[in-house]
Amino acid sequence: MKIPSARLVHLLIGKSIIETLVVGGLAVFTFINVLPPYFHGWGEVTATGISGWAVNSASPWERVEVQLFVDGKFVADAIANQPRPDVLAAGWAKDQWHGYTFRLSPQNPRYHEARVYVLHDSGGGTRKSLQLLGNPIPFFVDEDGKIVNIPSK
Amino acid sequence: MSGMIEQSKAGAEFAVEEAEGVERIALWEIASVVTSCLLAEWVVLSFAGGSKLVGAAPVVLALGFMLYSHRERGETAKDVGFRLDNFFAACRLLLLPTATVIVLVIAVAWFTRHSLVIAPWRNRFLLLPLWALFQQYALNGFINRRAQLALGKGMKSVLVVALIFSLLHFPNLLLAVLTFVGGLIWAAVYQRQPNLFALALSHSVSSFALALTVSPTLLNSLRVGFKYFG
Repeated sequence: MKIPSARLVHLLIGKSIIETLVVGGLAVFTFINVLPPYFHGWGEVTATGISGWAVNSASPWERVEVQLFVDGKFVADAIANQPRPDVLAAGWAKDQWHGYTFRLSPQNPRYHEARVYVLHDSGGGTRKSLQLLGNPIPFFVDEDGKIVNIPSK
Repeated sequence: MSGMIEQSKAGAEFAVEEAEGVERIALWEIASVVTSCLLAEWVVLSFAGGSKLVGAAPVVLALGFMLYSHRERGETAKDVGFRLDNFFAACRLLLLPTATVIVLVIAVAWFTRHSLVIAPWRNRFLLLPLWALFQQYALNGFINRRAQLALGKGMKSVLVVALIFSLLHFPNLLLAVLTFVGGLIWAAVYQRQPNLFALALSHSVSSFALALTVSPTLLNSLRVGFKYFG
């Protein structure tokens, strides 16, 4: 058997570089597909639960599906299709129908944290991902079961 | 006189360094091809899902590299094992172990199901001999040959080939064990009679026996890599 030339080593290095680029490209492509940067929204504590809005800026007429988690546990899901004229006025959306409201069932009297996620399909529906909307929403439930807003840091 | 001794000493040192270099390159070649296979099974499949074009990229890269490596090392198709002159000699070596594996597979199927149910025919079984030939080419026609360059002929290189073949079938544990055994047999036979057609025949017959008799749930439908989970 012939002793290989330096070209074989160069090819091995080249192959490794190509594979690294392919994997890196795939990772970026997948990240953009699975967790796209075009969801915007916000959530806040109200007297009865959590309200907010969600917009898909890549598809401004779409009614986005959102899910509420409290203390890391799934609570409910909803379609963000309630009127939010303030969102339209602020230029976040093309129409006002992007609001959502979750009524909270009675919680234990203590500090809690709510998170609202956008449910996003990718890969022709084979993958589903949750993307956090805005910041986590801290709140306090007092002994009377009243929800008290805690300003975010 | 002392100049000649110095010269021959330097020549011997150069030869040792060159041999070590050849061994290292051979190991690097193995690592490179195994990496491509793992990328195809785990990374590309999990990222690109059903995209066959993207999924084929690491396989095409590995295949192109293997063909180039054969050319660089002056290996012919006959050297690699695409030949017929030793087909029957290789078949003779494979007959007993393959028959034993088939009997064991049928026994496993019998004891796990308490009956011998033959699974329905699937058209993709027709591609199995080709797939087996491709796998045997990569495993023995390339990896085994490079393992022999790096570690020499014998148990060490045979073990490396079997371990690699088994690794590529993770996380399907039963399949990993079976492919380790198959890898040992096929690698050992290849080192005595390098014939890829005979190996592919033994591989196809064993795979048919597995696919047709052993419960698909036990083998998770022969799925490996990321596909194993879904």
